[in-house]
Amino acid sequence: MPGLGSAALVVAFGLVAYAAVAGGYAAHRGRRRLLESATNALFASFASVLLAALVLLAALARHDFSFAYVASHTSRELPLGYTLASFWSGQEGSLLLWLLVLTGIGSAAVALNRRLIRTVIPWTVPILGAIASFFALLLVFVASPFATQVAPADGAGMNPSLQNPYMLAHPPLLYLGYVGLTIPFAFAMGALASGRADERWIIATRRWTLASWTFLGFAILLGAKWAYEEVGWGGWYAWDPVENAALMPWLVATAYLHSVMVQEKKNMLRVWNAVLVAGAFCLSLFGTFLTRSGVINSIHSFTQSSIGAWFLGFIAVVAAVSTALIIYRLPLLRSRTRLESLVSREAAFLYNNLFLVAFALTVLWGVIYPLVSVAVRGVAETVGAPYYDFFAVAFGLPLVLLMGIGPLVAWRRASLRAVGRSLLWPAGAALIVGILLLLAGAGSSPAGLVGYTFAAFVLAAIALEFVRGTRARHALGGGSWPAAFTSLVGRNRRRYGGYVVHAAIVLLLVGAVGIGGFGTTQEGKLTQGQSVEVGDYTLTYLGSEQRRAANSQELRARLAVSRGGEDLGTVLAGKNRYFAEQQTSNEVAIRSDWLRAEDLFVIADQFNPDGSVFVKVIVNPLVNLIWLAGLLFVAGALITLWPDAREQRRLARRFDEEGALARA
Amino acid sequence: MARRRSPARLVIALSVAAALAIFLVYTALAGGTPSLRPSQVAGHDGRVSVAGKVVGQPSGTARGPEGLRFTIKDVQGTATLPVVYRGSVPDLFKTGRDVSVEGSLQNGVFVADKLVTKCPSKYTNKQS
Amino acid sequence: MRRERSRAPEMDVLAVALGALLAVAAVAFVARPFLAEPDAEDDRLAGRTSAEQERLELLERRDRALGALKELEFDHRTGKIADADYEASVGPLRREAAEAMRALEPLAPPARAPVEKVDARA
Repeated sequence: MPGLGSAALVVAFGLVAYAAVAGGYAAHRGRRRLLESATNALFASFASVLLAALVLLAALARHDFSFAYVASHTSRELPLGYTLASFWSGQEGSLLLWLLVLTGIGSAAVALNRRLIRTVIPWTVPILGAIASFFALLLVFVASPFATQVAPADGAGMNPSLQNPYMLAHPPLLYLGYVGLTIPFAFAMGALASGRADERWIIATRRWTLASWTFLGFAILLGAKWAYEEVGWGGWYAWDPVENAALMPWLVATAYLHSVMVQEKKNMLRVWNAVLVAGAFCLSLFGTFLTRSGVINSIHSFTQSSIGAWFLGFIAVVAAVSTALIIYRLPLLRSRTRLESLVSREAAFLYNNLFLVAFALTVLWGVIYPLVSVAVRGVAETVGAPYYDFFAVAFGLPLVLLMGIGPLVAWRRASLRAVGRSLLWPAGAALIVGILLLLAGAGSSPAGLVGYTFAAFVLAAIALEFVRGTRARHALGGGSWPAAFTSLVGRNRRRYGGYVVHAAIVLLLVGAVGIGGFGTTQEGKLTQGQSVEVGDYTLTYLGSEQRRAANSQELRARLAVSRGGEDLGTVLAGKNRYFAEQQTSNEVAIRSDWLRAEDLFVIADQFNPDGSVFVKVIVNPLVNLIWLAGLLFVAGALITLWPDAREQRRLARRFDEEGALARA
Repeated sequence: MARRRSPARLVIALSVAAALAIFLVYTALAGGTPSLRPSQVAGHDGRVSVAGKVVGQPSGTARGPEGLRFTIKDVQGTATLPVVYRGSVPDLFKTGRDVSVEGSLQNGVFVADKLVTKCPSKYTNKQS
Repeated sequence: MRRERSRAPEMDVLAVALGALLAVAAVAFVARPFLAEPDAEDDRLAGRTSAEQERLELLERRDRALGALKELEFDHRTGKIADADYEASVGPLRREAAEAMRALEPLAPPARAPVEKVDARA
């Protein structure tokens, strides 16, 4: 069946190439039937790519090792879930996933908005086709998942560290995020190409952008949780190029989400938004490129991926075309509305954008620094965590502060007095919290203390917003307080959903500062019966155990945990030895204390022949707030995304007004 | 087109430029850690990171008295470098793997306290 | 790449047949608009005249002003904007909305006009 898969990809390539070329011509010359034909081609390409994906899935499911891809990424004893998930664990499969998601949501976005946007869709279709053509080109000519070989007896197996539920979910969610950013990009460029400064495409793509951004953010946190548990060095984010690859587009997308609100309400920042959305998309391509091609790591001379150069070329083309389009349409984009005051909500959004983009750029600089330093100094240099941590604090703290101040400032022009009055309560609360924390000993990390004070400020400001809103709603409508609250949130989903997301980010900050600034570590060799003290905890080594699992041999050290004399049970930490892959992996023990939101993290580094064990024990305070923040983040995003019947009716009315004209 | 340029634009542009300038200067001064190949290590005194392929048989244990001893070779070349490492051994470490070690050269042996294994075909890094 | 010899040649034929079927279906679907309307009198993509564009921009201006008014009311009700600031801002915003709505009147859909003319004549 690999022939069918290849054929499906070739057909898909033909279809998207046609969609790009014919669609472009149709948009340029205004040919209705040709455009419809191109749109059909886009829809059909999804079906074709889906077929190819199903062929690969079927091959994986039946362990067909005549498929080179199946043989190199799975083995017979690999559980079914992971076998199917290896669809996206390799380069060719993940490219296929990209194309599948792209044609899928591209077709959906076009189909759902065909009626609404008469002037943007004609250009969106060829743009989506062109982007899909790149991936289809790679899949057909450069990196085919359907290469065949003489089937070996068994496959090479999957990297044991990837055999983890988080790694099952992480790539698809990540790709939904990356690829999802294509939609606002295609629509924005379509709007530019068509020369119509109609804002409806923003409203139409708003939910797509939000959803992609949510997926991306959640996927990043999922990846962090995987790294925390699987890689197990005690930390949750290592500023690794692969992690940064996803963070950069997320930061720029966050900036875009905020500034597009200004464009919707004030008709400002149009050029900036066009630049942002193109930047977010280019960064998501760059992120895929970084993760897939290993080019940053390749300064350590690894096997250069075959697709690296292709990706770089494509990113360059996208950046060049976007820039040209923006410059070409600059007169149209230049807004007539000016920023009236540096103390206004528009200005607050602008500052937020500045910090977010600056942070994204510093991360980018850190990521490409090895390549730059090779070119300039001849020796590749890498920047470490201190570089990133410095800028995370430098840009992060003002951003947190803005999260609190922004919602309290009025549009257009706000008097400092009014702002000061609104800030009084939250600032007071923050001050009290700060002093309390200082007395509790949080002064050991000054940046952490400041961060916590700001966090308290923002949380208080958000709480105040909810209280004031509920009170006002209650005064208007009467009824019970809970009813007023739900009615408030229901009528202002964007605003209050956004507040929940802000609260989630603050929670994340609190957790990150906790683990980063206030943790303790202890390591040493323990003989049976010996204890070690870390923070409040005492761990005693009881002995080692062995167990045979499906595809590995498990060796564990059992330790008894107690705190302040109270027995907290035992933990098992050790190593797994995988047979097929001939590899050992660390299996850390994590004991989560939900009341304190802290983790006891135990790494059993070495089992000595004399029965002793070398352990490294870490206490991570507040780390579980990070994962909680992830859930809260999704909840807040869902509130914002939830379809609003009232808003839909209002929009429909407006389109009817315009549509009545068209029918004349 | 605009007769009266809003000062806001200037403020914005300057802030961005300032931020960019800060980190450029920071990275130039603070400097990163040079990333070298085994063949390039000889001259460097300070802290560096070296990347290569593990060859031969590693001996000893990372938490043992002798440390973990192994040799890395230029991925594209023949130069080798003996390494002794103390710390947590990451998941994917074994002969034939590409690794990156961080530390300094002492008496012809590279003493490392950081070990990272890379997996080129699968896209994740392991850290200790 | 050497193909696996022991795989039945029927599978290859099946794969080719399915692939060909897929290609044909794709071409048919893509050609459908042309097959459905072999000669279309109006093949032009409905663009927008400058009058329509103007009307649309006015609609957006009106909606933007109305939205800003709503937000101003909300912010005032929840106590974020002082009475004085509210009084200062609400006037200009209302004027802006009214202006946009007034400007929209003469650009009302022309569909009504011919009907009225017919009625008048009748």
